[in-house]
Amino acid sequence: MSVPAVATGRERQQSPLERYVNILGPVAMIVAIGVVMAIFEPRFFRVTNIRIILQDAAIYMVLGMAMTIVITGAGIDLSIGSIAALSAIVMAIFIKDLNVAVYLALIAALGVGVLCGLVNGLIITVLRVPDLITTLSTDLMFRGLALVMAAGAVLQRFPEPIPMIGRGRILNDAIPVPIIIGVVVLLIGVFIYRYTPLGRYAIAIGGNRESAMLSGINVRRNKVYHYMLMGAAAGLAGIMLTGRLNAVQATVAEGFALHTIAAVVVGGTVLFGGRGTMLGTLVGVVLLSMVTNALVILRLAFFWQLVAAGLIIVMSVAFYSYVERRGKGGSDMT
Amino acid sequence: MVSERAGPALLEMRGISKHFGGLQALNGVDLTLHAGELLAIVGDNGAGKSTLIKILTGVYAASEGAITMDGQPVSIPNRRASIELGIDAVYQNLALVDYLTAPENVYLGNELKRSFLGIPVLDNGAMREKAARLLKDRLGISLGNIDQHAFFLSGGQRQAVAIGRALIQETVRILILDEPTAALGPEETRRMLEVVQRLKGKEMGLIMISHQLEDVFELSDRIMVLRNGRLAGVRRTADTSRQEVLGLIVGSIRDGEAEAGAGSAVAS
Ligand SMILES: Nc1ncnc2c1ncn2[C@@H]1O[C@H](COP(=O)(O)OP(=O)(O)OP(=O)(O)O)[C@@H](O)[C@H]1O
Ligand SMILES: [Mg+2]
Repeated sequence: MSVPAVATGRERQQSPLERYVNILGPVAMIVAIGVVMAIFEPRFFRVTNIRIILQDAAIYMVLGMAMTIVITGAGIDLSIGSIAALSAIVMAIFIKDLNVAVYLALIAALGVGVLCGLVNGLIITVLRVPDLITTLSTDLMFRGLALVMAAGAVLQRFPEPIPMIGRGRILNDAIPVPIIIGVVVLLIGVFIYRYTPLGRYAIAIGGNRESAMLSGINVRRNKVYHYMLMGAAAGLAGIMLTGRLNAVQATVAEGFALHTIAAVVVGGTVLFGGRGTMLGTLVGVVLLSMVTNALVILRLAFFWQLVAAGLIIVMSVAFYSYVERRGKGGSDMT
Repeated sequence: MVSERAGPALLEMRGISKHFGGLQALNGVDLTLHAGELLAIVGDNGAGKSTLIKILTGVYAASEGAITMDGQPVSIPNRRASIELGIDAVYQNLALVDYLTAPENVYLGNELKRSFLGIPVLDNGAMREKAARLLKDRLGISLGNIDQHAFFLSGGQRQAVAIGRALIQETVRILILDEPTAALGPEETRRMLEVVQRLKGKEMGLIMISHQLEDVFELSDRIMVLRNGRLAGVRRTADTSRQEVLGLIVGSIRDGEAEAGAGSAVAS
C-alpha cells in the first residue's frame, strides 16, 4: 500500500531564499549607513576606522555567540557585563598583586566566567527563579564583587599575551588579533548550533520545552550549560577589554548586556527563544558597532547615539514582525 | 486470536490509581496488551486516558499499582526509563519543535553522531537520509522538501513525523498514540488511519486513544473503556457494537461480569 503525500492544510513550501530573508533587513541597513557615510563623511571608510569598527564588533561577537544560544534556549543573560568585569579584575589582581603566572591568570579569568555562569544556571534551574530576574540580580552581585575587589583602583600594564589579545596585530600588522578571535568564536558558534546536541537542544528547549522533555532531553542541565558557555564568553570578553586599553577597572563593560542582546535580536534571533542564527548575530554586532562609530564620527552627542541604537532595534524587530505577518520566516541559517 | 495466546502479556498494568491532590484521576485500572495487537482506549473527556498513558511513559508516577512487561515487574520513574523499556508515545498535542526540520525532530534526543577530529558531532546527513526513508517506507509519507521546518508541514505530516520519532527507536515495543487524528481534517485522518494500519501486525503492541468510534472499530482488536477514572469494561472489537461501547462510555451500561481482560471473550 502506498500513501501519496498530498499537500493539504497549512503546508507551504519554504524556498531556500526564505531562510535568509531575515538577514536581509540588517544587511540593507549596513549598506544604507555605508551610503550615507560615503556622502557625508568619507573618513568613515579609512582602513583605520574600519579596523576600529570590527575590533569593537569582535568583542560583541564573542558575547553574541553565546547569547544567541542562551536566547535560543528561551533564556536571557543581563549579567554578562559584570561577569566580564569580575573576570578581568580577578585576572588583574592575580597578576598585579599575587604575581600569579599570566597564563594561570588567563585561565582564572575564564574560570571565574564559567563559575558565574554556573551560579546563574543553578539559580534558574534549581531555585526556579526566572532567567531575567536571576541575571538582573547577579548582575548587581558580580559588579559589586568586582568593585569590592578592585577597591577603586585602575590596574594597568599587563604582560603579554594580554595586550596582544586586546590590541595586537598579526600578518604584517594588518589583522588585529581581536578580529581573529571574533571570527574563530563565530565559527565555533556555527559549529555548536549546527553540529552539536547543545545547539540543537537549545532550539528544542526554546521552541517547545515540553516536547524537549518528552524526548528525554535534560532541559535543566542544558540550560546550565548555556549559562556556563555565556560565562566563559564573558570571561574572554573581559580579557579582550583589559588588553585593549592595557588597563582595567571594575566599572568596565557596563551596558554590554543590552548592547549584545540588541545585536542578537537585530540579527534575527527571536527574543522568546526557539529560533536563532549565528550569521545574523554577526550581522547584528557589525551593524551596531558601525552605527555607534558613525555617530561618533559625525560628532553626535553620546545621548543621540543611544537614541539611534534604540531606533535601530525597534526598526529591525518591526521588520521581522512584518516578514512574519507575510507568512514567511524560518531563520535557520545558523 | 491475539488476546488468547499463551504466555505472559507484553504489558500488564494492575490496580493503577493516580490522584492529583484531592482529584482521583485513576482508580484501580487494569490494562493488558499483547504483542501485535491494537488496544483502543476510549472514554469521555477527563476519564483518565491521557493520565494512564503518561504513567506508562514515566511522565507521572502512579499513586498505586504495578506494571509488568513479559511477566517481569518494571518501574518507570521517568521518561528515559520508559524509552529504555521500549515504550514510546505520540502525544495528543502534536509535540514537534517548529523550527527544527522533520529529520531533526525525528531524531530529537536520539541523534546519530559521527566522529570529526575525534569529537562526536551530529551526523545530519545520515539522520536526514534515514528519517526520509523511515517516513516513506514505514509510514508512506513523503515530505516535499525534507529540509523545511516542521512549522511548514501539514497536520498529517506533523503527526507522521511524531510517529517516526517513536519508531526511530528500533527497540520500541509499545507505541502509544494519543488521539492521532484529533487535529486532522477528513482526508488526513484517512491517511493517518492507513499509517496506523501499516504499523499493526508487527511484534509491536499498539495503544490508541481516540474519541472517534469509527476509527476505533476500524483498527482495534480490543476496546477498553474508562469512565471517571475507573475501568468501565473491556471488549473484543469483533464481539461488540458501537451501542455497547457508547453505553459503557456514558455509564448507561454497567459491566456486571468479571472484567474482560485477556482471554475472557466468550465466543468468537
Ligand atoms: N497534571 C494534572 N494535575 C491535576 N489534574 C490533572 C492533571 N492531569 C490530568 N488531571 C485531571 O485528571 C483527570 C483525567 O485527565 P486526563 O487528561 O487523563 O483525561 P483524558 O481522558 O485524557 O481526557 P481527554 O479526552 O479530554 O483528553 C481530569 O479531571 C484532569 O483534569
Ligand atoms: Mg487526553
